[in-house]
Amino acid sequence: MASVKLTNVKKIYDKKVVAVHDFNLDIKDKEFVVFVGPSGCGKSTTLRMIAGLEDISEGTVEIDGVVVNDLQPKDRDIAMVFQNYALYPHLTVFENMAFSLRLKKVPNDEVYKRVTEAAEVLGITEYLTRKPRALSGGQRQRVAIGRAMVRDSKVFLMDEPLSNLDAKLRNQMRAEIILLRKKINTTFIYVTHDQTEAMTLGDRIVIMKDGYIQQVGTPTEVFENPVNLFVAGFIGAPQMNTFRTELVRENGKYFVTPFGSKIEVDGETGRLLAEKNIDSRSVVLGVRPEHISLAKPGVNAIPCTITVNEMMGSELHIHAVTESGAQLVVRVPTLGLSKQERAGLVNGALIHVTFPGEVMHLFDPETERNLLY
Amino acid sequence: MKKLTDLEYLRLNTVQRLWYNIVQFFLGIPQWFVNLGKTIVSKVVAFFVGIKNEMVDIVTTFTKGSWKTKVSFLVMGFGNIARGQVMRGLLFLAFEAVFIVYMVTTGGYWLSKFRTLGDVPPGEVYNEILDTYVRVNGDDSFKILLYGLLTILFIIAFIYTWRLNVKQNRISEEILASGKKLKSGKDDLRSVLDDQFHKTLLALPITGIIVFTVIPIIFMILVAFTNYDGAHDGYSNLFTWIGWDNFNELISSSSSDANLSYTFGEILSWTLMWAFFATFTNYFLGMLVAILINKKGIKFKKLWRGILVLTIAVPQFVSLLYVSKLFDTNGVVNAMLLKFGIIDQAIRFWENTTTARILVIVVNIWVGIPYLMLVSTGILMNIPQDLYESSKIDGASVWQQYMKITLPYMLFVTGPYLLTQFIGNINNFNVIYLLTNGRPASPDLVTSGGSATTTDLLVTWLFNITTGATSNYKLAAVIAIMIFIVVAGLSLIVYNVIPSTRNEEDYS
Amino acid sequence: MSKNKPHLGMRAKSTISNTVIYVILVLMSIIWLTPFVCILLESFRIESTGRVGYIIPKQWGFDNYINLWTKTNFPIWFRNTFVIALAVAVLQTLIVLSVSYVLSRIRFNGRKLLMNTCLVLGMFPGFVTMIVLYKVLSGFGLTGANSVPGLILVYCASSGMGYYVSKGFFDTIPKSLDEAARVDGATRFQVFYKVIMPLSKPIVIYTILTAFMAPWGDFMFAKYISHGTEAGMNVAVGLQYWISSKTLISTNYTMFCAGGVCVALPVTILFMCLQKYYVEGVTGGAVKG
Repeated sequence: MASVKLTNVKKIYDKKVVAVHDFNLDIKDKEFVVFVGPSGCGKSTTLRMIAGLEDISEGTVEIDGVVVNDLQPKDRDIAMVFQNYALYPHLTVFENMAFSLRLKKVPNDEVYKRVTEAAEVLGITEYLTRKPRALSGGQRQRVAIGRAMVRDSKVFLMDEPLSNLDAKLRNQMRAEIILLRKKINTTFIYVTHDQTEAMTLGDRIVIMKDGYIQQVGTPTEVFENPVNLFVAGFIGAPQMNTFRTELVRENGKYFVTPFGSKIEVDGETGRLLAEKNIDSRSVVLGVRPEHISLAKPGVNAIPCTITVNEMMGSELHIHAVTESGAQLVVRVPTLGLSKQERAGLVNGALIHVTFPGEVMHLFDPETERNLLY
Repeated sequence: MKKLTDLEYLRLNTVQRLWYNIVQFFLGIPQWFVNLGKTIVSKVVAFFVGIKNEMVDIVTTFTKGSWKTKVSFLVMGFGNIARGQVMRGLLFLAFEAVFIVYMVTTGGYWLSKFRTLGDVPPGEVYNEILDTYVRVNGDDSFKILLYGLLTILFIIAFIYTWRLNVKQNRISEEILASGKKLKSGKDDLRSVLDDQFHKTLLALPITGIIVFTVIPIIFMILVAFTNYDGAHDGYSNLFTWIGWDNFNELISSSSSDANLSYTFGEILSWTLMWAFFATFTNYFLGMLVAILINKKGIKFKKLWRGILVLTIAVPQFVSLLYVSKLFDTNGVVNAMLLKFGIIDQAIRFWENTTTARILVIVVNIWVGIPYLMLVSTGILMNIPQDLYESSKIDGASVWQQYMKITLPYMLFVTGPYLLTQFIGNINNFNVIYLLTNGRPASPDLVTSGGSATTTDLLVTWLFNITTGATSNYKLAAVIAIMIFIVVAGLSLIVYNVIPSTRNEEDYS
Repeated sequence: MSKNKPHLGMRAKSTISNTVIYVILVLMSIIWLTPFVCILLESFRIESTGRVGYIIPKQWGFDNYINLWTKTNFPIWFRNTFVIALAVAVLQTLIVLSVSYVLSRIRFNGRKLLMNTCLVLGMFPGFVTMIVLYKVLSGFGLTGANSVPGLILVYCASSGMGYYVSKGFFDTIPKSLDEAARVDGATRFQVFYKVIMPLSKPIVIYTILTAFMAPWGDFMFAKYISHGTEAGMNVAVGLQYWISSKTLISTNYTMFCAGGVCVALPVTILFMCLQKYYVEGVTGGAVKG
């Protein structure tokens, strides 16, 4: 049992700079929560307040129903993995992992058992007698995780644990963290600036910007129903395409008119628009690159010129510019393309694109909030 | 001259830039003083606002507090004890008890005498049994000054502790009101090694600094306003407050001993001259030696460095005293020169102002180069090699590399270090004292306050007049304050000028 | 390179400049070492105890050393200095490391104030505190013949102000190590001695070394506190006393040389053994300011 509850938590530096505004979050037992956002958004600060490494300026943090504001980190029963590993250079891998147990005066046999078990899981048994400087980055990261694992603590905190690794290793470690989570089954709070990590790891994602929570939800929720333009742009790669355009209501039906086309907004989105009784107005239209497809010239097809053509293997990322100068990105799976079709998708080629009505996201241009959520 | 934008500045050539920077520096001086004034005013205002807030806080604590809190205003620690924090409470109470007992028994006496520093001179009383006059002690000005000062500091400490006691009551009430528990004595003890660990570690060092540096310095500042010296030693002849007289004597030419201010001026200018030469000769020559040894292709680097480092290890006084004797009038150097017929009369190195001054600077180079060589070697090795490689490709000569890369890098990194060296040289007692041993004497520098030599620095003069026959403590105190003013002024200028120079972040 | 003008090749050029540098370095080595060789030679001279106009003794012998250790107060001075140096090395290291650790690692109210105060206090010449300290110490009987404990107090008490170099070192140890240890369940104290101390061997040795060496060279404080009493002098004051007047120097000069050698040898040997750490401290400290 280890729930974490943050109520109205604030962090103010030097009585002036507000790093975190009014943070409210209920983390259930055994939940994997990811804080994600650009650098300086306050995600690490929040994590460090939970750990007790930063004072909490206002509000309360509870772990398992106990207010821990005034507790020292060592009394909070938490484990933490740091971005730069923070391994003790003078201790062997074994002693690094045993450090917390030694402080608790755990009997030697027990220490041995727990450390070797954790090492087994992480595949670092053969390095136990080495010093950290004799290890590679990935191995160091495993030791840091192992050090946190042997603790059996209530909450497992991870502060950008993968950002010092190269891309390949990062993917591999990400998969390992998913497996690890199944094995140790405790409450995880994970901080990252990488939306892919957030999407793949989290049960719930907390998206932050400038010290404010933007949205909390499951990966599917934040991907499908982003509450504002920031979330819409932050989650998903390549970024969502956005265009200023008009929403038109005609005979109970809704249309958008980007670049001279006229596309009906149907499906769930159309139904909700009608339900909310929204009138004709100008909007920011968001469409994810994977939802745009190549089309034959026609009424609903938008003509544009290819500027950059990125071959990713399984798909093409086509950057194009419309006649009015707007940029857009299209993801085209290579599987369905014939050789001939692909030969037509070169820089400077004129193409036509379109997208179905039900995948659109509509935002208020002023407040940048989603019209529907 | 108006301020240029960054782009306009970039259009200037080197000479124009230098000229622009110099002009801007001097134009900036008035503004700097204005800012300084503003800072001081705002600090003073903040101080009084702070006191006002404290007062308000004390009053509200009293009016809104429970009876436990109210009693604590008189009986310190009562609130703590009543709320179960017995250990804290007892400490407060004990402190109050000690304070009251001290003030009643002796503190009051010292305070009452503090204004005059004693008014009962020693006297003689007829003793019937011995049938003679016996000396009886009167007041002791020195003790009055010292204990008076300690008593005042004790009172300040008491007020602070009392305030702490009041504050604790308020905080305890707030904690209890919010439904939390107070820290127990056990928690307090545990926190000594944890969240209060810094206080544990600092307790001893800060006590040491207060007792052995802060209090003596305050005492010395007070002495500067008295006539404490060998003739007024405090018990056979009382001393007392005389205001700014000592400062006037030293600075203004209208003083009773005109030679004193002249001597002071002479010594001050030589001190600055010495500090300048000693610092920069060592700095540049040390850097040069480091560069020579570091040069690619030079073999036995370790040996050359080792020989120089060896001389750091030998305690300075041994080498300084020996070298001093080497250059004596009948020392080995003169003997050798005479023997080989280079001179026909011994050179009186230490008796002549010019030779003595040159010699101390030269010997100081000899003493200082190894150290500076070490410092610069470390920094030189830290200069990224690719800077040199890229400059070579850009076509820079060795000299240009030195002027454009090495020197700016060194100056940037060692700026603060140069300042400490300069200050260290202003106070460089050993080199001057051990080398010259009070020579060359000069009839111009004989004063009522204590005589000086033409190689004396302020600090050696200070030493001599304190330890010498006149024991002129009041003058020593004034000189110490003067040294402080010089050093503090220099540091202020340097700290304010260095960060304002352009291109500051280039090397970081 | 142009073909018309005769030009020195790169190699020839560097050979010339290297030769010049070697000459300079050899000359420097001679200049730097000569006084030490001279003092060593003069210490073995037995034909005269005063000064003579030459360096190499005409008669060699250990008489000066034997006299130094058996017939003079030198053993007392040496013992005094040694005791002081040992005590200062221990106490000062503890104090300096405590202060610099706290200032480097812990952010507490008054930290800036403390650092600024130390800066300002350091601008007063240290000797002026002696005016009152001497009187107070002599009140406790810690001057004159008894000056060893007095000097230890004077050297150690304010040593907390010299935290710069070791703070600079501590600043280079990543803060996340402290944080990891605290999350792992360590108290601040445990962080200090289980994590920071084991990583700080170079700076600990540097601090001990400098603290140990300083008392051998101090003259100003030692002279004032011993106040002319031979039993309370350290080597610097004692040896200076031997050559401070014309009469003394004529009987004591060669013994002064022997004494200098006796002081310099152990300190130099110790220093050379730990040189690596000293160099690290000096270079690191200067860069950090």
